[in-house]
Amino acid sequence: MAYLSTRNFIEDKDFVDKWLYTMRTGELDLSWMKAATEKVKPHEANPRRGLTYRDLDIGSYGFTDIPEKVRSNRSYAPRGAEVPEGAPDAQPWVSRKSEVWAFNTESYYEEAVTRQWNVTTDIPWERLDGVEMPETIGKALSQLMTFLTEVEMIATDTPAMWLPRLSPDFIEVKAFIASQAMDEARHTEAFRKRALTTGWGLMKASPMNEMALKHLRDADSFSEMSVALHLVGEGNVLTLFRFSEYLSPTDVDKRIFRLVMQDEARHVGYGMQHFKYVLEHFPEKREVLHAHLDEAENISFAGAAATELTESFIILAGGGLKKENIDEGIKVTTRFQLKQMEEHFERLEKCGMPERKERSKLYQMFEMGKAAAEMAGIKLN
Amino acid sequence: MAVSFPSTQYFEALQQKMAAEPEKFRRLGFIDTTFGVRVGQNGKARNFILEFEVFEMKGVREVDAIDPKNVDFTIEGDAGVWREMIENIYRNGEADSSHDINTLAHFGEQLKVVYDDPDGHDKLYRFMESIQRFFDLSSKVEVSFN
Repeated sequence: MAYLSTRNFIEDKDFVDKWLYTMRTGELDLSWMKAATEKVKPHEANPRRGLTYRDLDIGSYGFTDIPEKVRSNRSYAPRGAEVPEGAPDAQPWVSRKSEVWAFNTESYYEEAVTRQWNVTTDIPWERLDGVEMPETIGKALSQLMTFLTEVEMIATDTPAMWLPRLSPDFIEVKAFIASQAMDEARHTEAFRKRALTTGWGLMKASPMNEMALKHLRDADSFSEMSVALHLVGEGNVLTLFRFSEYLSPTDVDKRIFRLVMQDEARHVGYGMQHFKYVLEHFPEKREVLHAHLDEAENISFAGAAATELTESFIILAGGGLKKENIDEGIKVTTRFQLKQMEEHFERLEKCGMPERKERSKLYQMFEMGKAAAEMAGIKLN
Repeated sequence: MAVSFPSTQYFEALQQKMAAEPEKFRRLGFIDTTFGVRVGQNGKARNFILEFEVFEMKGVREVDAIDPKNVDFTIEGDAGVWREMIENIYRNGEADSSHDINTLAHFGEQLKVVYDDPDGHDKLYRFMESIQRFFDLSSKVEVSFN
């Protein structure tokens, strides 16, 4: 047991006597009724939307006025409650607002809650009955699903492990991160179910992929985790889901990818808005984030080029293993890989880091890849 | 009576069909985006701005040109591509796997997604299923083509 109560209540005579006294006499303490808290009457700004977290952004209960450094509440007291003496120090690792906040955090959470879906019942699995795919296509699809299951498992763990580390005053961020963990668990379920329904079962785990994923899990701060996970990792995966939808051999796969891309795009949106927020409110972090991006880009480059992923895409894009299929598959997959990198730099630029291109080794890879593709006659976007 | 494409009447017809299925779109969740649709024809273009809020389409208007800064993204394409997509939806009840928005727009060869802010661009994917189901309502509307 890592935590022991400072009192043994069961053996504390005063505590037990008070419990019995209340039961015997009906005499109530009622001091909590005099809590020194603010009385407010929130209302729905838009009744069609319902009562949102934004509608509760009022006075001491609101998020607008959370100070940059939260010093007053280190317990689990909900923001706005009276914190009496004796509330334990929950020892949050993150008590600085700009370390976690994003513009519109609360609306990302509200959107997440209304856009939840169910892998078991929202995917028309019955349409797979009688679907026959050539062996190479079936195995490539299953390898893609195996790879993505690996990705989503760590994408569940990573945000979830930050939850208890955040100050309880950051309610809306914690809610969004919890919704993200649920989204990623659902993606794991979707990809596992689809891998098994190909008829080929799961294929092979990817050491290269797992090395990249481990980097996400082991960030030193929330902002670094968010840059690596929401911006770099999920930004790349969003482009990858769109590409997978484009390549999907059945309308069931298309539905799966359309639904997972919605969740992924929401996470990327939070990541972009957090990145903007941290650059505006915590400018000293810029260099730290550059340094983390150096590593995140290196590892994401490796993960995205993992044999198990790239070859699956080449086969799915080209339609098989004949030379003409592979030639076509390489062309289409190269276009996707370059698009993925281009979109990454577009996001960073719009978030307020236009200098990233000059510093980034990944950008040099992008330029080199683009030149090589043009020389090979591959038409770019 | 058939509504013509492209026209505000076409999008208003989809809006009415959307409003007639509130539970279906409520189940898909909030959709908060304003985007453009550009239909090219004979070197000219018809431009529409569609606004969605909460669970519904709030309105549509035709404009001379679309300023990318005023919309999240714009889906552009020649009238022939739009026509093929709408006719495909009408025949199948929903877009088949070659005619959904993401497939048509992925490499920008048939439809193209243009944007000023990548955050706005990503909204197409954040609300993809709602937007696809919105266009899939074309299966319930008789459309004529100019």
